[in-house]
Amino acid sequence: MSTTAAGPATPPGPPAGSRLGRVAWHWRNNPKRELWFAWYTTVIFYNIFFIVFFPVTHAQPPPHPYWSDAQVAYWFNHNHDGLLIGLAIIFAIAGMTVAQNALIAYSMRRMSVSRAFGYSYIVMYSLSAVPGLLLLCVVLSVGAMRPGRDPAQVHWLYDFAFLSYIGTMGIFLLGSLVWMLAILLDKNRVLPKWFGYLNLCNALTEVVVAPAWIFHQGVLDWNGLISWWVNMVVFGVYTGAFIMLLRTMIQREDFGDGPLPDLRKDDRAKASALAGTPR
Amino acid sequence: MTDIAQAGPQPGAAGRPPGESAERPARAVPGQPDMWVLVLFEALVFTAYLAVYLFHRSAHSELFLRSQADLSPWLGTLDTLLLLTSSLFMLRCVQASRAGAFRAAMSQAFITALLGTAFLASKITEWALLVHGGHGFTSNEFFTYYFFLTGIHLLHLLIGFITIGVIICQLRRRERRSQEIVETCATYWHTVDLLWVLIFSLLYVVR
Amino acid sequence: MNARPKSRPLITWLILSAITLAYLALDRSVDNHGTYRASSVVTTIAILLALVKARYIFREFMQVRNAPALLRRLTDLWVLLIGAALLGSYFTGLAIH
Repeated sequence: MSTTAAGPATPPGPPAGSRLGRVAWHWRNNPKRELWFAWYTTVIFYNIFFIVFFPVTHAQPPPHPYWSDAQVAYWFNHNHDGLLIGLAIIFAIAGMTVAQNALIAYSMRRMSVSRAFGYSYIVMYSLSAVPGLLLLCVVLSVGAMRPGRDPAQVHWLYDFAFLSYIGTMGIFLLGSLVWMLAILLDKNRVLPKWFGYLNLCNALTEVVVAPAWIFHQGVLDWNGLISWWVNMVVFGVYTGAFIMLLRTMIQREDFGDGPLPDLRKDDRAKASALAGTPR
Repeated sequence: MTDIAQAGPQPGAAGRPPGESAERPARAVPGQPDMWVLVLFEALVFTAYLAVYLFHRSAHSELFLRSQADLSPWLGTLDTLLLLTSSLFMLRCVQASRAGAFRAAMSQAFITALLGTAFLASKITEWALLVHGGHGFTSNEFFTYYFFLTGIHLLHLLIGFITIGVIICQLRRRERRSQEIVETCATYWHTVDLLWVLIFSLLYVVR
Repeated sequence: MNARPKSRPLITWLILSAITLAYLALDRSVDNHGTYRASSVVTTIAILLALVKARYIFREFMQVRNAPALLRRLTDLWVLLIGAALLGSYFTGLAIH
């Protein structure tokens, strides 16, 4: 049972012409512009995040927990510029993570479940950005800032940074479970049930990461084959899945209260153009 | 829980005498197809963990063999038999439910839970014995793998108890009972058994 | 297996239990009075038997036997994948170390 779409009446379509013209038309007229803005922000953020954390700062994959003071100091000096420049970029764009949280919470608002799900998710994930991202960036920047610092002190910063980033998974675990529960209880078919179950897989990987607090080497340390590498594959699949599913959700969105309509084949072709048209 | 549309032809709850064979007349995915995504994905993730274990085992075979000798193959065998039997009862539960024999199905579900609890008790006992014998999570590489694998499996088992709870709730309802949800939860429970079968052979049996 | 449908689950359970008990004999054949000895043969057999059990669980307990062809093939593929990964990592480990 779907109420008539509450979106504003939309002009016929973008004018034929330059890409820029079409984008401008969408910005002015598409009722889903905020949703698309949030989605593109999420995609852009992950791309920048990947580039900064992997090749620029070399903070991922994480260096070894069992290094000596001298080796850690060398790592900071060797990556001095990459760390400071890369992390400065992250500080500038960290606010983009808000868009992802908002879009995910929006998906829960659109579901038939209580709004408490979406609100809890926003609170949890907003807080989790502090130990889960920002602390790492601040502490690594501090470590890189003065190359002449005592290696023992630098080692302390190194441990603090990586443990806070990799070890503080409890909130992500609970957040995944909140989203899972919302999806499984939802009657509006906003997101497929299999993704609900994938949230459970993602939640379990957070548990697998917990031994990183105990082990300094081996497969369960903070860059271990199990705790980091296998986990990253799971996380990558999970993130790729929800980015695509949120895109489909936006395409299907009819601004009603009932089940989301399925995406028809011809809709896929004109999805970004006329997605706001009432059915 | 939602009453989701059946994935295939209606099961024989109407007009089929209870106790009779409850085979599906036509091919249908047992439970929600979505649950199979979890089953296959988790199977791959566990395979990755086990592959890492096997790879590192050959690097330290002496240590692994020595440590493995501290495990009790009898307890491991008992654990496997408990879960296999629980799967048998879970299948019986699904078949009874499909045939409309809901009271029988509920008993089967309770027995499944009981066997799962027996497994839980056995595992905890085994852990306690090992720790008491000086073998903990950080004792050596073998025991790190042992406690990690059995621990993460136990977590899956605990989630399995929740799914049995969902089955029992479904079976108790008179209206809007969903056979699909019962079968979906059963599929999850069998996965717990499946994962244990792999873990058991690699922790207890391989040399 | 063309058993009456009603006894199929029980027969499956018997087969799976028998394989589980056979593991004890398998290990006994190579162990030396409580001292375990490495054996590729035992390891390979153990893994293959585990795969047989896994396929039984898929087919009989999880009722894939009555599922559409896609799921039947997918689960068979999974058994092969798991087998390849486990045997592959074991023998690669042996070769390297």
